[in-house]
Amino acid sequence: MSRILKFRVSTMLLGVLFAAAFTLTTAFSPSAQAKPIKVGFSMALTGALAGGGKQALEAMKIWRDDINSKGGMIGRQVELVYYDDQTNPKNVPGIYAKLLDVDKVDFIVSGYGTNLIAPAMPVAIDRDVVFMGLFGMNNNKKWKYDKYFQILPAGPDPAVGFSYNWFEALKTFKPKTIALLSADAEFARNLKEGAVKNAKNMGLKIVYNENYPPKTADFTPIVRAVNAKKPDVFYIASYPNGSAGLVRALAEVGTKAKAVGGGMVGLQFSGLMAGLGPNLNGILNYDFYVPEPTMALYPGATELIAKYQNKVKTEGLKTDALGYYLVPWAYAYLDVLGQAVNAVGKIDHEAIAKYIHATEFTSVVGKIKFTPLGEWSETRTIVVQYQNIKNNDLQQFARPGTRKIMYPLDIKTGTPQTYNSLR
Amino acid sequence: MLMRYRFEIGCVVALLACFLITQVELNRFYYFAGFAILQYVLISTAWNILGGYGGYINFGTAGFLGLGTYVAIAMIQFYGAGIIEQIIVAGALAGLLGLGIGYITLRLKGVYFAIATLAIAIVLETFVNNWDYVGGAAGVSILPPRTPELLGITIVDRKGGGIFYNNKEFLFFLMGALAIMSVWIARTVEFGKLGRGLNAIKDNEEAAECMGVPTLKLKLIATVISGSLMGVAGAVFPSYLTFVDPPTAFNLEFAVNSLAMPMIGGTFTWIGPVVGSILLGTVQQVAIVTISSEINLLIIGLLLVIFVTIAPHGIVGWFMKKNK
Repeated sequence: MSRILKFRVSTMLLGVLFAAAFTLTTAFSPSAQAKPIKVGFSMALTGALAGGGKQALEAMKIWRDDINSKGGMIGRQVELVYYDDQTNPKNVPGIYAKLLDVDKVDFIVSGYGTNLIAPAMPVAIDRDVVFMGLFGMNNNKKWKYDKYFQILPAGPDPAVGFSYNWFEALKTFKPKTIALLSADAEFARNLKEGAVKNAKNMGLKIVYNENYPPKTADFTPIVRAVNAKKPDVFYIASYPNGSAGLVRALAEVGTKAKAVGGGMVGLQFSGLMAGLGPNLNGILNYDFYVPEPTMALYPGATELIAKYQNKVKTEGLKTDALGYYLVPWAYAYLDVLGQAVNAVGKIDHEAIAKYIHATEFTSVVGKIKFTPLGEWSETRTIVVQYQNIKNNDLQQFARPGTRKIMYPLDIKTGTPQTYNSLR
Repeated sequence: MLMRYRFEIGCVVALLACFLITQVELNRFYYFAGFAILQYVLISTAWNILGGYGGYINFGTAGFLGLGTYVAIAMIQFYGAGIIEQIIVAGALAGLLGLGIGYITLRLKGVYFAIATLAIAIVLETFVNNWDYVGGAAGVSILPPRTPELLGITIVDRKGGGIFYNNKEFLFFLMGALAIMSVWIARTVEFGKLGRGLNAIKDNEEAAECMGVPTLKLKLIATVISGSLMGVAGAVFPSYLTFVDPPTAFNLEFAVNSLAMPMIGGTFTWIGPVVGSILLGTVQQVAIVTISSEINLLIIGLLLVIFVTIAPHGIVGWFMKKNK
């Protein structure tokens, strides 16, 4: 046998050995015994809501790694399948059809935000599958779908529940008049409608009630118009760009209102907090999680956020550096699903939905119980006041004291002070 | 004899193909993707009637489409109108809008006309943002009937004697039929007196006017047809999406795509927009679930630059030049 032939035979034998070894190892590995459970979703990774979407995705990846390290769902590893919806509702129905029909995912969960949950609802209803939502407001009001559950701690009537605590917090000022302003967009208008109900329940006289176009760049004329009405308190429901513009306009023009804020989305994002810095002092706004000592009522949330912050740092991710706003909630909506599937013990959407309806869950956002429409049974929105912000350093927002909790009373870390006293 | 009617036979075959596709029960994703591509065939064909044949660049596609969408929503909100009624009324109103806007703006030319048409979408979006009856800025969810009827016949719900298994299959077929209808209209325009007149306007409007071509009348007719077809494309949108808000209905992406697709396919003939929209529409649908980001708009931009540079008459023009 020539040397070349010998070499070829030995190479072939080595190849056969490798192939046999590979076949044996894969055939007896746990992953070969059970296919992974696929969880599919669309997420805003580009477009207007990408700031939140990217943050949520990283939290979901942490959940996937956590559950897989504990043995997965019903003994099977979990795999996330996701596509960028570009913050465009038009892309959502097609993505969910692809997830269910081509990728053959076992479960679908929503992308981030009301407008991106809405177009996915009919797909979920059509397939009769459990559908977990992330920060949706009243998405199931029209459908009344029994397998929809969402994570936004705003109570059974989210529009009203969202601002309820804010009105409770400002009772200390004994206000008589209120001005209300909202972005002319879905979520913000819902918030303001709820705030109007709460204001009327409190007996406040509404002296100003207007919407502003979402693309408004200069808010100083609006603030001046509000000031002309001399309201005792000023409720604002705005999106990130508007929130930043309004904070700057308030700093420039000033106001005599004792409390300002309420439903300003975006002031919780690291980038905006650092950018606005001391301009935020005095704003009284909603939040869901802040690094105050009394937030320990959420078991595991602190560790989760530390893990997220470390992930962002070590992997050099271009996303929110702190992650307080969305990380616990994006983790929780998958955690609830995971707990329910493991408790039921099989992929049976009917049984899983019944279990979720009947159960009070404990997750990184505390105890969760759902109403028949899939909303939270109680509001858990917290009211914070920005205080003691000295400069634009981001790390100050990672420490207690810059966003003190004013309400609920059982976890309060400060007392509301008038807007101007903190300027 | 058959050769004489080959286009008409082709239309019937395409319609039959659309119907047969709905009967094989593919993955529903393919119906979603197919619907989006066929909708672009309809939109870009409509755009090409004024933009391609007449040379008037219309950036107001999103305005006409959004009008169709919101007319359909208003009709559903008002009395739960059926989809055929929505299409007819939306097409008629979008055509009327085309007539009105055309009368005001068609005296403008070039970039001034393009800017004027772009303003239509912005004005209409602002109007809808403040019209709470159709959801306003908040948007609106539409509950499609489980078993839609067409002229008293149940068309969806095969178990109940319907023709289609589900609503998505029906909408795919409907969009296919509308796209074929638009292509037939575009071809009729192209080879008729209207098309010849529009071509003359495109080459030299003053010369055409001197030769007795009724330029304003022809441009108005083209605007009405074009606007009406865009309105029709928009009317089916609420049933497909089931949730519509103004940024979705009046998205500038429609204007960009409706211009890019005929440019890439070829603007001088009816088949150009069809080729362009099938090609680009497919690339976009694949990009959404593979590259998965806004990069699909970048793809369109790059393709547009490449084709304008290498093949200014589009794919069809390039092939025709090679075969000469």
